[in-house]
Amino acid sequence: MAKKIGVYVCECGANIADNVDIDKVLAEVSSLSNVEVVEKHKLLCSEAGKAFLKESIQEHGLTNVVVAACSPKQHELTFMNVCEQAGLNPYLLQLANIREQCAWVTPDKEEATEKALRATKAAISRVRYHAPLEKKEVECNPDVLVIGGGIAGIKAAQLLAGPHRKVYLVEKTASLGGKVNEFEKLFPNMDSAAAAISQEIQKLLQAENVEVLTESEVTEILGFLGNFEVKVHKKAEDQEMGLDVGAIVLAIGFALLDPGSLSQYGYGKFDDVYTSLEFERMNASGEILLKNGKQPGSVAIIHCVGREEKGYCSRVCCLHSLKFARYLKSRISGVKVSQFYSDLCIPGKSHQKFYEETKELGVDFIRVQNTEVAENGKGMVIKYETEAGLKGSLEADMVVLSSAIEPSSDTSKFAEMLNIPLSESGFFSEEHEKLAPISTPAEGIFIVGCAQGPQSVADSVVQSEAAAGKILSTLVPGKKLELEAKTSEISDAFCTGCQTCISVCPYGAITFDEAKRISVVNEVLCHGCGNCVAACPSGAASLKHFTFTQLYQELEEALR
Amino acid sequence: MEEEFKPRIVGFLCNWCSYAGADLAGAAKLEVPSSLSVIKVMCSGRVDPVLVTTALLHGADGVLVAGCHPGDCHYRKGNYYARRRFTILKKTLETLGLDSERVALAWVSASEGPRFSGVTNEFAKKIKQLGPNPARKEISL
Amino acid sequence: MSVGSEINNKGQKPPVLVIGAGISGIEASLLLANAGRKVYLVEKSSYTGGNVIKWEEVYPNMDCATCMVAPKQQDMLANENIELLTLSEVESIQGTPGDYTVKVRKRARYVSMVECIGCSACFDPCPVEVDNDFESGMTKRKAIYIPCAGALPNVPAIDTENCLRFTKGESCELCKEACMFEAIEYDQQDEELELKVGAVVVATGFDTFDLTKVPQYGYRKFENVYSALELERLRATNGPTTGELVLRNGQPPKSAAIIHCVGRVEKGYCSSVCCMYSLKHAHYLQDKVPGVKIYQIYSDLCIPGKSYQRFYEKVKEHGVDFIRGNVLEVSEQGKGLTIKYKTEDGKENTIAVDMLILAPAIEPRADSSEVAKIFNIAQGDGGFFDERELEPAPAGAPREGIFIAGCAQGPKDIQESVAEAEAMVGKILSLSK
Repeated sequence: MAKKIGVYVCECGANIADNVDIDKVLAEVSSLSNVEVVEKHKLLCSEAGKAFLKESIQEHGLTNVVVAACSPKQHELTFMNVCEQAGLNPYLLQLANIREQCAWVTPDKEEATEKALRATKAAISRVRYHAPLEKKEVECNPDVLVIGGGIAGIKAAQLLAGPHRKVYLVEKTASLGGKVNEFEKLFPNMDSAAAAISQEIQKLLQAENVEVLTESEVTEILGFLGNFEVKVHKKAEDQEMGLDVGAIVLAIGFALLDPGSLSQYGYGKFDDVYTSLEFERMNASGEILLKNGKQPGSVAIIHCVGREEKGYCSRVCCLHSLKFARYLKSRISGVKVSQFYSDLCIPGKSHQKFYEETKELGVDFIRVQNTEVAENGKGMVIKYETEAGLKGSLEADMVVLSSAIEPSSDTSKFAEMLNIPLSESGFFSEEHEKLAPISTPAEGIFIVGCAQGPQSVADSVVQSEAAAGKILSTLVPGKKLELEAKTSEISDAFCTGCQTCISVCPYGAITFDEAKRISVVNEVLCHGCGNCVAACPSGAASLKHFTFTQLYQELEEALR
Repeated sequence: MEEEFKPRIVGFLCNWCSYAGADLAGAAKLEVPSSLSVIKVMCSGRVDPVLVTTALLHGADGVLVAGCHPGDCHYRKGNYYARRRFTILKKTLETLGLDSERVALAWVSASEGPRFSGVTNEFAKKIKQLGPNPARKEISL
Repeated sequence: MSVGSEINNKGQKPPVLVIGAGISGIEASLLLANAGRKVYLVEKSSYTGGNVIKWEEVYPNMDCATCMVAPKQQDMLANENIELLTLSEVESIQGTPGDYTVKVRKRARYVSMVECIGCSACFDPCPVEVDNDFESGMTKRKAIYIPCAGALPNVPAIDTENCLRFTKGESCELCKEACMFEAIEYDQQDEELELKVGAVVVATGFDTFDLTKVPQYGYRKFENVYSALELERLRATNGPTTGELVLRNGQPPKSAAIIHCVGRVEKGYCSSVCCMYSLKHAHYLQDKVPGVKIYQIYSDLCIPGKSYQRFYEKVKEHGVDFIRGNVLEVSEQGKGLTIKYKTEDGKENTIAVDMLILAPAIEPRADSSEVAKIFNIAQGDGGFFDERELEPAPAGAPREGIFIAGCAQGPKDIQESVAEAEAMVGKILSLSK
């Protein structure tokens, strides 16, 4: 069918009209082939302008539209909507930016006119090669898999559970609750951790449509957003189960740095040196006792154990160290508590108060640059050096090491399975550090709690609720996923199977079809950046709406 | 009588940063060389070295590719690939006998209107000094 | 108390009210709109983006702040489900979760959002010049204004507290005469809107500690003492110096000191973000003024999390003198500044610098108590709004239906604010299944 292109130039009041000889532009383009109609208008984005445009498109039976006006960033959507209303596919439109990038930046009117003409001609040449793109939709599974039955996983599952959505919670161990099970209290309000966690577990088990699989591990995950295929191994029955879900929440928690590798702290060497988790467990059992069965008379809590080795601050240790001091003061009357720290990290509206009240209980805070746990015949002694270089020592019956929080040992397994990059610190990498903290570049997969980075229970809960928010918003039961129209596509015929495109795709949107030996773009995941197109050595990859031909047309006009 | 050399410069600008920066230069009414023709792409990573080479072979006196600053790419890492391709392209152009000084890669953020104006004006000045592109052959692809 | 109380569902899920169009409010709005919910996004000022758009870069990767936020703002403005109400404030709220009636006062902009194309022709002719709050008073603006280049929506507003028509009843029409699109409408009226919503997200952001309350730091006393926000505006490419870090005399500083924790003692909490943004400021200086000598005076370095320490090490490597101490007094020596401080061992010392940057505490908005009263929210620690149970512990009866996100809840960074905004949406969508 012969093309009928309509060219509309906007005066934008005086903004364009004053700087560009619009009549000259119109006169010159009207003679170009396929140009059916040329018009100018005072303000195309106004209600009157839009109505005029719509009528004109319909009247002339146009197949393509060029609007030379302000930046497409201002009104491309506006004019696309007009086309749609006029019965024309909105992608058969091309804008020429003759305001921001022409009239407003070219003082000489003749030069501005010439530039506007070039831009308009380029748009006309290009639009001839536009294809009517359709916004595709794809079915999606609204069900969710939550991996990890700690507080973060439990909260996410709670919020997601509902009548039209099945939530699977897979937990490696035999029970739910994770690390919080081992705490007596939570900072800063010193609420009962046991009460909190059991309440949350109750809420979860009462929620509808939730299937909890304890003593189970995920062994395989294939697929993509809306369409994941998961295999779970149920250890107790030694059975494999298949699940289909639309999204996955990774809430696999953390591990604690083993201070045994840091010999200066005497862990494993002296009897009464404990890690933070060991101390928590001991306290939760009801009594804080030395290995000899007696209560300690003096306890040293050492912060930042392993910080230098890990290269990051684990965020919660100063706070839980304060909590430990409180445990001690409440259980053992007269106990001497000393905390050895480098920088006190207590951000937030309530934590300084927590610190001050703890200090008031009679806890000593000693700022150090390094500590060593040694023995002096009588018992343990903390040898320390202050920042000023002064050396000191303090006897202690018991030492608690607040050691660094590390990624869970399952992190690399899931990173590989799901193609999620890991940050330098070893935790999962989020999609965008500021604006997408719990999403990953693998769409539909979320990272929450300590799997994402060392953080408190409160922060973990916020993140798991955030994951629920993202999933509840995107995967709506019965609603299809709307896809980006301007995606990449790879020609079967020209693809040589080199897989270069796969290696450069930021979204893992290209997979290799082993049977056909060619790469295939997943339109659900493709964001339309075109990196694969530039990388493809055989020209097999092409980006809709930004094909080589289309760009070449613009190029030709620029160089005519 | 010497005819004044009017350079023809093509600029490939990425939708999210550099194109927005160019718009901002417009909003601030800064000067941008009229010799520049802008072709918008979604990401500087889309800019195929073949496209740039084609531009030069078809008579472009200068080709400018502009994208987001490293780390700011809307598509996470498209601009890193653009940077790599560009480095190799520069070397390839020399092998082909084309002047690699005629192509440039610049990072312009969405808020850098003045920078866009500066970068384009400087590039246009350089191209003017280099003179017309001697490689002006028609090649059918 | 049943946490599963359904948000009322009368066939179609009710709209949600989001208060504050900063990064938290925008994120919450987009996520709710994406879920098919109608959102009323009420913003007190004439523009969106809150505090984040005042900054040039954000830590730790030095992402361009405006580039980062602009696509979100644009998505929000284009989203059919989001009705943005700028120059608006909530006056009252009645009802129950799922069924609230909110009264909003929408002040007149006096410029048509439909006709105005953002050409800025109306600014020049305006005879009134006042301090531009957005630039912390470092530049002037007119009575008809946008706060900065690139502000969205790109439509000016008339400041009725300074426009001669409103302050003196004068019949000045200079802006209207300059407008080619008949966009200026002096006869616009304030509106009283009544909105029916099912839930509310309060994302009203923060203010910074008033540095004049601590005169020993010399703020507004000595020329080259800057607040963190002022430094951000200097560094901003759309700011008063187009991004150049210079002193009031236009010259770059040869030395600068950054003081952390200003107002911490007075407020009684650590504002969470100042150490990191102070490092960012050091980075700004290292970047724009090569060779500048930088001192940072701090008490405890607060750089938690998997990536922040790396940033600190990088900044330190490029040359910053970190001094752990307490500033006693700032005085002027000729054109320079002398800072007297005490280190933890009790010794007093001084340093001399050209430029001083103060990192003020983050505090609740000045109108927090009014907002708290309207919504019946308690003001907890630090005066910030008391959130619903964040700890998984049995909390007191929460005000179901009203959620707090971002710095309105407590000082935090962008990452945490965004997560919290998403979390509140998670709660709302979960309750309305």
